[in-house]
Amino acid sequence: MLKIRFHGRGGQGVKTSSRILGRAAFLDGFIAQDSPIYGAERRGAPVVSFTRISKTPITERGFIFDPDIVIVMDETLLNDWLARPLEGVKKGGAVFVNAVSGFPPPAGHDDKVFITYDLTGMALEIIGKPIISSPAAAAAAKITGLISKSSILEATAEELAELDLKDELLEKNIQLAAEVYDVIPTPAINTQESEPITREVSPLEYEPVTHEEVIHLDISNLGNSALRRTGNWRIFKPIVDPQKCTGCLVCIIYCPDSCITLDENNKAVIDYDNCKGCMICLRECPLRAISSVREVRVYA
Amino acid sequence: MRDVKAITSNLAAVEMMKVEMLTGNVAAAWAARLADVDYIPAYPITPQTEIIETLAKWIGEGVMKAKLVQLESEHSMLTAAGTASLTGARVFTATSSQGLLYGFEMLYNIAGWRAPLVLVNVSRGVAAPVTLEPDHNDVLAARDSGFLQFHAETCQDVLDLILLAYRVSEDRRVRLPSIVNMDGFYLSFTREPVHLPSQEMVEEFLPPYIPTLPFRASRPVVKGASVLGGHIYTYFKHNIHESMRRAIEVFEEASRHYGELTGRVYRPVEGFYLEDAEYVLVMSNSFTTMGKRAVLRLRDRGVPAGLVKIVMYRPFPSDQLAELLKNRKAVAVLDQNISPGMGGIIYQEVAGALYHQRNRPEVLMSVIGGLGGKYISLEEFEYIFDVLQHPEGRKPNTPLFLFRKDELESVKRALGLAGLGGEMG
Amino acid sequence: MSETRYKTLRDVPLQEYLAPGNPLCAGCGATPVLRMFLKALEGRAVFVNAAGCFTLLHVYPYTPFKSSWMYTAFASAPAGAQGIRDALDILIEKGKVPPEEDVKVVCFTGDGAAYDIGLQSTSGAIERGLDFYYLVYDNEAYSNTGFQKSGATPYAAATATTLPTKLQKEGHTGSKKDLFEIWRSHKPPYVATIAPSHIVDMLRKIEKASKYRGPKLFISFTPCPTGWYHDTSESIRISKLAVECGVWPLKEAIFGEVKHTYVPRVLKPVEEYLKTQGRYKHLFHPQRQEHIIKTIQENIYQYWRRVAETEKLDIIIPPA
Repeated sequence: MLKIRFHGRGGQGVKTSSRILGRAAFLDGFIAQDSPIYGAERRGAPVVSFTRISKTPITERGFIFDPDIVIVMDETLLNDWLARPLEGVKKGGAVFVNAVSGFPPPAGHDDKVFITYDLTGMALEIIGKPIISSPAAAAAAKITGLISKSSILEATAEELAELDLKDELLEKNIQLAAEVYDVIPTPAINTQESEPITREVSPLEYEPVTHEEVIHLDISNLGNSALRRTGNWRIFKPIVDPQKCTGCLVCIIYCPDSCITLDENNKAVIDYDNCKGCMICLRECPLRAISSVREVRVYA
Repeated sequence: MRDVKAITSNLAAVEMMKVEMLTGNVAAAWAARLADVDYIPAYPITPQTEIIETLAKWIGEGVMKAKLVQLESEHSMLTAAGTASLTGARVFTATSSQGLLYGFEMLYNIAGWRAPLVLVNVSRGVAAPVTLEPDHNDVLAARDSGFLQFHAETCQDVLDLILLAYRVSEDRRVRLPSIVNMDGFYLSFTREPVHLPSQEMVEEFLPPYIPTLPFRASRPVVKGASVLGGHIYTYFKHNIHESMRRAIEVFEEASRHYGELTGRVYRPVEGFYLEDAEYVLVMSNSFTTMGKRAVLRLRDRGVPAGLVKIVMYRPFPSDQLAELLKNRKAVAVLDQNISPGMGGIIYQEVAGALYHQRNRPEVLMSVIGGLGGKYISLEEFEYIFDVLQHPEGRKPNTPLFLFRKDELESVKRALGLAGLGGEMG
Repeated sequence: MSETRYKTLRDVPLQEYLAPGNPLCAGCGATPVLRMFLKALEGRAVFVNAAGCFTLLHVYPYTPFKSSWMYTAFASAPAGAQGIRDALDILIEKGKVPPEEDVKVVCFTGDGAAYDIGLQSTSGAIERGLDFYYLVYDNEAYSNTGFQKSGATPYAAATATTLPTKLQKEGHTGSKKDLFEIWRSHKPPYVATIAPSHIVDMLRKIEKASKYRGPKLFISFTPCPTGWYHDTSESIRISKLAVECGVWPLKEAIFGEVKHTYVPRVLKPVEEYLKTQGRYKHLFHPQRQEHIIKTIQENIYQYWRRVAETEKLDIIIPPA
């Protein structure tokens, strides 16, 4: 069995990727299983989905802890302590990273094959949106070495049609998938079943009456959400030009995430740790003092 | 031993109490008044309505200082009850049957919020068919919600168990809400003498409720946050379970104190003529009085019969129950409820409690009776004991459905009158 | 009327009660409104929430809040508000809570709760004269579950359960409930509509409402990039367009007396608004559905003709 785990951000098409791959495997005669996990997070927040491909009946469900292949659909996720996309990847497994440029494997991961490609750039160029469900699925399909090109294209067409994608946009997605399939290599990867991860079991025991209070579902550490670092949801990054900024407050007032403040010189400053990159500030700034650049944070 | 209730000799205390003829409903209202509750969200439903009417009258007359607000549904009533309790008010509320089910999702919330309010449920059979008289499908539906449950046999029990429920619920080792159950009609509208403890006695017994992080301007707090991730969710649920288990000891501790003050001590499960009993009936709520009468009749005839009453239904006192039932020849569990396709609900739990008991009774029989308030006659009680003595040929876990010949004839006549069946009755 | 502390955006208090890092969608149209309410109430409030997008504002153990919050259930947030208000009142009366510890109570829900499942509970709370604020972020569908139609979904909008198809070309065939009128019929002290683009209007309304004891109710227009299919940067612009096209009238009713607080001199064609959102795309692609667009436009004109007449306003509206 081959286990593929997709990491991306809400809105990038993470769930669809796993489904395209699942259907392609199914079309090629394998037994396949695909599933997403929903959390609280929204458009832009880390999301994860899974595809299992096997010749024999699959006896697992849910989270894939020991993937053969991981598809990281946004390079900034490599730094995300909640997403932890590289966790559990098998020795000799493959990691695909959607990144602007290549980089050496991160420390502790040189026993894996790393493949990088700028899927977002390609998607922006061909379909005009940073949605990469079809190219990410195509990349995964090629890396497995099991899925034919015709099946991945057929699966792409079927899955996207189910999402009501029509005509031109559908064609462009298929074109994108085909180009990616052709350009991504099929590395030699280790598909041996890994040693099962062993973690100590510690059942919750009954403690007799003590004078300790019960546990309440209260949060009193108010404002601690800043620790979540929603800044790594960004695909584009707003930049304030202090020359043009007059400190008029418009961006501060409209920012949905309270991420803009005034500095001592009365200029807007953005909290990049948490700015999600919605670009309302850019759109509303009456002086056009805010511009946008593609967010690039290569893992180092 | 006629009764396991320890009778203390604190006669001075007993003399401080007034005795009044009270219905179960008014006894419940008295308990709320003596507990000095702050807030009563209410909604009418038969047979509970008299409780809130009584409280509304007292508040209106100024003999009781509390706020009673009539909501627009039980769902809202229970929501308001829960949030008020978290804000620091001692909250009392009451409902019945359909009302309990209409507000059902809030029961789980209130328990999860650890809001230690007391809810009186006046049992009434659940529609359809719509009915008014009691059985326990309503209150037992709430058994998994995280509410403690106390079931009353008498109007005195209603009053005492409400006061005990506040003490246990608000205890910082428990902090879970309680349901006190009484049967509609058989208690709710039935008057009998009830000892009313004095206000001073109740104040000594029941310390003020100290809320945990209530909503105050100086210290904001987030309550009811979502928990995503099964491990944190499990941890919280386990904590509720653990608090529940502790509540047995906390209840016994509170009950001892209550007994010192009033002379009345309650146990999670109570025995009647148990000492040498070989044939034992397990049951709860108001019909227990009739069950006890049957035991006395059988004793007169020389049958070693006895009875076990479940007072505390959640947490379920498995160990205490198993202890009382060990070494008996045969035990019947009378369920005034039905889980269609399975049988009696409490039977399953008693069976579970006994499984690991050495010397458990050889026969554990399931009996269903009293649905929709159907009377259980002496003959039917005696029939149960007859079967216990001669269980041969009966599958004990197939419920014995109590019914009488005259009732069957009456049903047939009714069906005919309704137009079912061949001929008019 | 003139003694408002809010004259321009410069008067918006800078103190923040909503920390960065919340898990809601980028570009959410409701968070700016929530921020303003928190500012206006200076964080001395309990926000009582029903199931919806904002239930996930707090995912244990994190919170962006610096005020109090209580999640209740889908159908009964106003009753939750009732319990807190009543408890504080009686505890203060009995001397168990010092009056300076009092907080305001705000019911904060989406349109699914306000228009549908919690309408009964709101009606009860208003009828009882509960002293509370109700803020509904109206994104015109059940967004939290993936954008299904609600009682607030406007005519012809596509949702996950009202997809435009060959058989059903409009998308949603029903029309949006008029919650403002439903609430107003209870004659509460204060009801208003607000929009995230019109901050000064919003703050003035909160300020005005605060003078009344009893129900103070607000319906906020709430662009939803995820469900409406528009770019995250467009939320405020779409809100402005909704006001300028007359789709979202800004108004208030004091004890039932209605007054519009902002009147566009010339209504922009509704097309400008519809074209900003993917949920109306089927009205223009692959073919333009002229009669549907016309119906929407005519409904808006009809509304404003009536307003112009009753409030004696000078609005330029094409004749019927």
